[in-house]
Amino acid sequence: MEEFVGRLWHRFVTRATPCGYEAAGVELDEVKPALSAYHRALGGASAQQIMTAWHRPIERKRGRAKRLPGLRRKHMLSWQDEQGLYLPPKIAYYPEKELNESLYFWLAALSTQVMVVEHWLIDNLKASATLLQRYPGLRNPYQELVTATIDMAASQIHLSDRDRGTGLIELLSRPEYGPDRPFDINQPVAIPLWLYPAPRREVCAEVIDDLAQQDATSGKLIRLPNVRRQAFRVDDRRKTDGLLVFKMDSLFSRAEQVNVDRLQDDTMDDDCHSAAHDLDIISLSRQRRAGGSNVRFDLDLPSPQYDDLPVGDGIKLREWDYKKQRFRPAYCLLQPMVEDRAEPSALPSHLREPARHLIRQFSSLDLNKTSKNRQPQGEEIDLDHWLATTTDPEQSPDPDRYYKSRGARARNLACLLLADLSLSTDTPLDGDQRIIDVIRDALLLFAEALNRTRDRLAIYGFSSVRNKQVRYHVLKNFAEPHTDQTRGRIMAIRPGFYTRLGAAIRQSCDVLKLQSAEQRLLLIVSDGKPNDIDHYEGRYGIEDTRHAVVEAKQRGIVPFCITVDTDGNSYLPYLFGNNGYALVQDATRLPSLLPQLYIRLTSANRHFQ
Amino acid sequence: MATGTYYLPQGHEVDIFMRAASKRLPVLIKGPTGCGKTRFVHHMADTLGRSIHTVACHDDLTATDLVGRHLIGAGGTYWQDGPLTRAVREGGICYLDEVVEARKDTTVVLHPLSDYRRVLPIERTGELIEAHEDFMLVISYNPGYQNIMKGLKASTRQRFIGLNLDYPDEPNEVAIVCQESGIDREIAERLVKLGNDLRRLKDLALEESASTRLLVYTAMMIRDGLGERQACLSCLAEPLTDDTETLVAIRRLIEAHFE
Ligand SMILES: Nc1ncnc2c1ncn2[C@@H]1O[C@H](COP(=O)(O)OP(=O)(O)OP(=O)(O)O)[C@@H](O)[C@H]1O
Ligand SMILES: [Mg+2]
Repeated sequence: MEEFVGRLWHRFVTRATPCGYEAAGVELDEVKPALSAYHRALGGASAQQIMTAWHRPIERKRGRAKRLPGLRRKHMLSWQDEQGLYLPPKIAYYPEKELNESLYFWLAALSTQVMVVEHWLIDNLKASATLLQRYPGLRNPYQELVTATIDMAASQIHLSDRDRGTGLIELLSRPEYGPDRPFDINQPVAIPLWLYPAPRREVCAEVIDDLAQQDATSGKLIRLPNVRRQAFRVDDRRKTDGLLVFKMDSLFSRAEQVNVDRLQDDTMDDDCHSAAHDLDIISLSRQRRAGGSNVRFDLDLPSPQYDDLPVGDGIKLREWDYKKQRFRPAYCLLQPMVEDRAEPSALPSHLREPARHLIRQFSSLDLNKTSKNRQPQGEEIDLDHWLATTTDPEQSPDPDRYYKSRGARARNLACLLLADLSLSTDTPLDGDQRIIDVIRDALLLFAEALNRTRDRLAIYGFSSVRNKQVRYHVLKNFAEPHTDQTRGRIMAIRPGFYTRLGAAIRQSCDVLKLQSAEQRLLLIVSDGKPNDIDHYEGRYGIEDTRHAVVEAKQRGIVPFCITVDTDGNSYLPYLFGNNGYALVQDATRLPSLLPQLYIRLTSANRHFQ
Repeated sequence: MATGTYYLPQGHEVDIFMRAASKRLPVLIKGPTGCGKTRFVHHMADTLGRSIHTVACHDDLTATDLVGRHLIGAGGTYWQDGPLTRAVREGGICYLDEVVEARKDTTVVLHPLSDYRRVLPIERTGELIEAHEDFMLVISYNPGYQNIMKGLKASTRQRFIGLNLDYPDEPNEVAIVCQESGIDREIAERLVKLGNDLRRLKDLALEESASTRLLVYTAMMIRDGLGERQACLSCLAEPLTDDTETLVAIRRLIEAHFE
């Protein structure tokens, strides 16, 4: 009997997915932001992202040879692992949109009650029962979902009334009772209301092949479930120089054209310019790298022909060695560079609407509200000053300045936005974007918004290849206005190498210090821990970065980090302090959240006299 | 203990405050909005039998507003003490709420008062007032990231005994919500659970957490007969965020808690 029902379910689920109630369907992308907030609020792990599931078979424990007909059939299942909660890209099981949407929220809620689904039936029953007990408000929606699911199954496969009384249906309706009668609990059945064990590795490969095919036919980009992990692994594989292995061929072909001057030693003792270069005075030259510059290149680096234009000879910066508890002086060579070939570009069309919105918001914001006392004219009378002058004329320096003026003097704030452009930003997000894409959009929108204020803005990006080249890309300096030129440069950012964050912070502070501002904000947009392919990883990178942050604070600069690394809570408090960072769970929201964050960080801070 | 303002201690704050008061040391209270800072200070004032002079700090607050100013009356000009000066003369707690909102030059007037000297020099009149023995300076602020650009000078901070308050733990918060609103325990428990769920959203939505104050307000509205879900929406969801997506999540959350 159960086997029969099982088969019916299979048929139901496999059929219902593609050809359900399309019109009433709800797409994961529509509900994702709300869903991830909901999931988090109910206690879902903060490192888990909402991801798109794919058709896959229900896996069975190894060694169970007994096969049900159609068992290898693929279903649109939902499941979770440490990184993600995988949900169907679209749900259209039910005729009412409300119900389809409700199923997404049910699945997100269910996932918070069970860490690892080991048994398809027992774990789901247990989790459902606890969830319903803890959140009584879910009982009604849950029953509605169950009823609708059963109706659906019935209508799709002509399940008779009698058949409805099967154990499975009873179980669904009253999960708290558990399987109370003989029930073949080892015959898994795909039920849309439940979460299934995560796919095993080997199976993964098989699924991926399938996906590739599906990919070709549907034309939709579907990604591997564990790319993120793989990307990190590549980053970590230091002994073979990680990704550089892959890039070798192309590098060799380029190397033939260039006279590569390999560095023998890690230290750079000869004296280049040690003082901070004023990057803001660079004049861009269209004349391209004639004969190569004085910067020494490593095999790891793209040849100058294909690289951004280096500006100057590089800047030497110190680095904190926590093992020796002292600085390595002039240890990092930071190379300012500019992409001089970037074509000027208008704001991409998908950002126009959000930009308009932001511009409206930022123009109406009274960010510059500041009142200045003792003015010769103004909107309000400066009673204090008038009283002081009247009561004690001797002591008052400014007679006849009896007004307060609002906005007479703008706040004087300089913000340098430093974006991590390391290789890890190549990591795909769910959807067809990579992290670098959301960073690009975020920079573009942020620049548009700040353009409407009197706050000064510079934007730099960085990545690094050991201490020999910390690549510091000028996207917009403080001196230049935000134009299609700067937009073009931002549009041209691409994932680079590694993340020697300490050096980039030190240089940014030097640049900020050149601004005569009363308030200096260093906003860092990052996607992960500091790391490089030499010793700059783990504790070393963290300690150096922390040192750079402390130095910044001592120099009167406020550093603040906004990250899309869901693991950020584990190390960012140590780097930036508990209140020195913000974590954006859903990276795709970075572009809209960054400007809002800026308002919050700075707007209440209007009083400079 | 005290008959005055109701306050349920979270830890040792009452004891520490009493000791600071007896040693005439100033106190700095940190904590997120609506966690009971003001309530605590009022409770301590009642317990110690001292008056309280509260100043809500803002960015236009000047030293004059604290210390006092000359005014012009029928008989010519006269001097009027500000709240700080009054507390210094008469004794009592001077409570500067949200002190980071004030300009840095404003807080400098606190320095001679908050070290061993315990004096207040008044520049305008040339007076040097020695603080009354019952004078106590208490300042508070919310150390959240919104205030990261503001902060207090180290030289100011280091003159104070620090107390860190946070939202009360679950049983205490339930007790507070019941006491403040007169609502049933069961509903209070639900509300506090909902509040704790909402607090997990802090990282995500970049907003302030649901405060004890908001939970109390919600409970009061429910007690008054407003439907539970509606009360939660109006008193918790809407004040917390304007973001549509976050609101959807919160609405779902409320519906999960309240049938
Ligand atoms: N420990 C407590 N005992 C009794 N009531 C409390 C306690 N904590 C919080 N409350 C309740 O929370 C409300 C808000 O507290 P309070 O006004 O003191 O917050 P606050 O920390 O001063 O907030 P803000 O920073 O916004 O001024 C109080 O009115 C009271 O109802
Ligand atoms: Mg208060």
